[in-house]
Amino acid sequence: MIQEMIQEMNDQSIIEPIIERLNRVFEDISGLSGQSMRIMEVCGTHTRAIAKSGIRYLLPQEILLLSGPGCPVCVTPEYYIDIMISIADREDVILVTFGDMMKVQGTCFSLSDKKAQGAQITVVYSPEDALNIAAHHRDKLVVFVAVGFETTAPLIGVTVKQAKAGGLDNLFFLTALKRMEPVIRFILQDERNKINAMICPGHVASITGAEHFRFITEEFGIPAVVCGFESQDIAAGICRLLEQLTGKRDKKFVNLYQRCVTPNGNPIAQQMINEVFDIADGEWRGIGTIRNSALVLNDQYRYLDAVKRFEIKNEQYSSPLNCLCSEILLGLKLPKECRLFGSICTPEHPSGPCMVSSEGACAAHFKFGGDGKNG
Amino acid sequence: MAEKLDINIDEKINLAHGDGGVDTQGLIRNLFYQYFDEPLSNSMPDSFVFEAGQHKLAFTTDSFVVKPLFFRGGNIGKLAVCGTINDLATAGARPLFLSAGFIIEEGFSMEKLHLIAKSMSDICQETGAKIVTGDTKVVERGNVDGLFINTSGIGIVSDNYHPQQAEPGDEIIITGGIGEHGTSILLARYDLGMETKLTSDCAPMSFLINGLGEHLKHVKLMKDPTRGGIATSLNEIAAEQALEVELNEKAIPVKSEVDAIGDILGIDPLYLASEGRMLIVAEKGWGEKMLHQIKALDYCGEAQIIGRFTSGHQGMVSMKTLIGGKRIVPILEGQMLPRIC
Repeated sequence: MIQEMIQEMNDQSIIEPIIERLNRVFEDISGLSGQSMRIMEVCGTHTRAIAKSGIRYLLPQEILLLSGPGCPVCVTPEYYIDIMISIADREDVILVTFGDMMKVQGTCFSLSDKKAQGAQITVVYSPEDALNIAAHHRDKLVVFVAVGFETTAPLIGVTVKQAKAGGLDNLFFLTALKRMEPVIRFILQDERNKINAMICPGHVASITGAEHFRFITEEFGIPAVVCGFESQDIAAGICRLLEQLTGKRDKKFVNLYQRCVTPNGNPIAQQMINEVFDIADGEWRGIGTIRNSALVLNDQYRYLDAVKRFEIKNEQYSSPLNCLCSEILLGLKLPKECRLFGSICTPEHPSGPCMVSSEGACAAHFKFGGDGKNG
Repeated sequence: MAEKLDINIDEKINLAHGDGGVDTQGLIRNLFYQYFDEPLSNSMPDSFVFEAGQHKLAFTTDSFVVKPLFFRGGNIGKLAVCGTINDLATAGARPLFLSAGFIIEEGFSMEKLHLIAKSMSDICQETGAKIVTGDTKVVERGNVDGLFINTSGIGIVSDNYHPQQAEPGDEIIITGGIGEHGTSILLARYDLGMETKLTSDCAPMSFLINGLGEHLKHVKLMKDPTRGGIATSLNEIAAEQALEVELNEKAIPVKSEVDAIGDILGIDPLYLASEGRMLIVAEKGWGEKMLHQIKALDYCGEAQIIGRFTSGHQGMVSMKTLIGGKRIVPILEGQMLPRIC
């Protein structure tokens, strides 16, 4: 199924008409000189896909693609990395994490630094691997670093439930799960960024349903599309948005990713989130606290919370950033406008959150030269 | 001596120092070259070539610490012999003699060791190489992860092979689909439970030396895209040749399984190791003729011309994408790690 889908998406007979359509839209736009169009993609995977497919190279100067705060690794606060590190420092702990969390810098260290110093840190692909690790290391306390958006939350929910059902008393969860809708509202309420249109997070929409994002058009009056992650998906999405922005089509909310996203999403996954998590205020690295933007373990499962188990004093603070990541995440600046970009701040030695994960705006621009013809 | 190093001596070695990317190169250039003899050229060749009487010989060594030890289409033994033979092949050399050093963990299965040794023997028979010396050490449980193998090799360089500086217009050929070895390892390591027929591309490439015949004279250089995949190898080539490499995404042979699994894990096939492929730089105008010949050879049915050199940005690898855009293909920085979402 997946293979067929990818073969289909790489089929030039599908790609070429989209490029032709994109070119026609650009011709129309060339008549609207001086009018910039600011399109934000919120999802980190879109950010990476846009940079990787070189789409900016095809776009005229007037069209700016802005990268939002949809990289879960990038927006995990610095103090949370410090908590992970303080837990990993314990000899009786195995810390289990997704791979792209390893390089994120806390105040002084990253998990990679700690692993090199001998801390027991295991990289896994699936949250469920934490169950096996806990079952095979009953003499250790196993802590799973649960970072992500609604896409990851259901899988973590399943793991939490299985830990309880299986009576695993040595597995705990350090959660930094985020919700997408509150941060989108936060961005769109900021009039400074002048966002004209939005590419909605396809992965999150596969769980929440496309309708979850209709508010973007209905409340904020801008066109929005849910689109997939292949280059032609994104090009088709940009085409649709530009056609609306130039008046060739009515402004409306469109789901272009119907092969994966239904209007109402995945009810089982949604139920899993509701069963295991409560909604709480969440802190976003580089942005600050956003109301109702986090998912935390609910009363029934709070005893599995690593912060509670290790009695960590949860002193939240936001250290000032020396870079422009805050403005970049909010659509106010481009990576190339930051004086640290590519010099002091690189993917190997990130100064700010946007350079941390391959899905961060700065890292994607740095790696793939995202600015193309736009300079 | 230490104060001369252009590295931070308070730093610790981490896994990225062994991944073949920026950190590995930094370690070699900035630390090892302070104490060992630098290669005669500015590059870091896979084999050292020297004259002995009438002949030119190539000499190389490599250590194998792969996890898991057995994977689809091979095991650490096959990998160790192919790896060394392929390093010799990049110098235009047919393998003559190999050494094999084993560091074995106490408690390791004799049956597995038997299978590993047999596959080493099989590749030697296929290529005419002989394992003539070796070493065996057994260490206490926990001191190594099962089994590590080091192989060294010496080979005789073909009279037809004369590496040359690349020029704009020279074409780049890959002898088959990329990243199949790396993907097979990922499948085994992350136990993704996917049904696929994909196997490692691990294979000896020494047959290219005879197989290319007279065309070998028009090969300017060769490189096996192992650690860091074709992206890292091509970046090294672009830097060494002080030219831009311009790839055509449409032409790069990638099996759909490799694409799909890479997509799921967030890992780009351009960075996944190929252990039985060769990047060949063909003199301008010779690419198509050479490709025709290469495609007829074992393991090379899917060979393609994937790009060419230009005089654009020196040392850069760029790629024309499927959709007609253009992007940079950077060198691998740090470890490849599966992503979150």
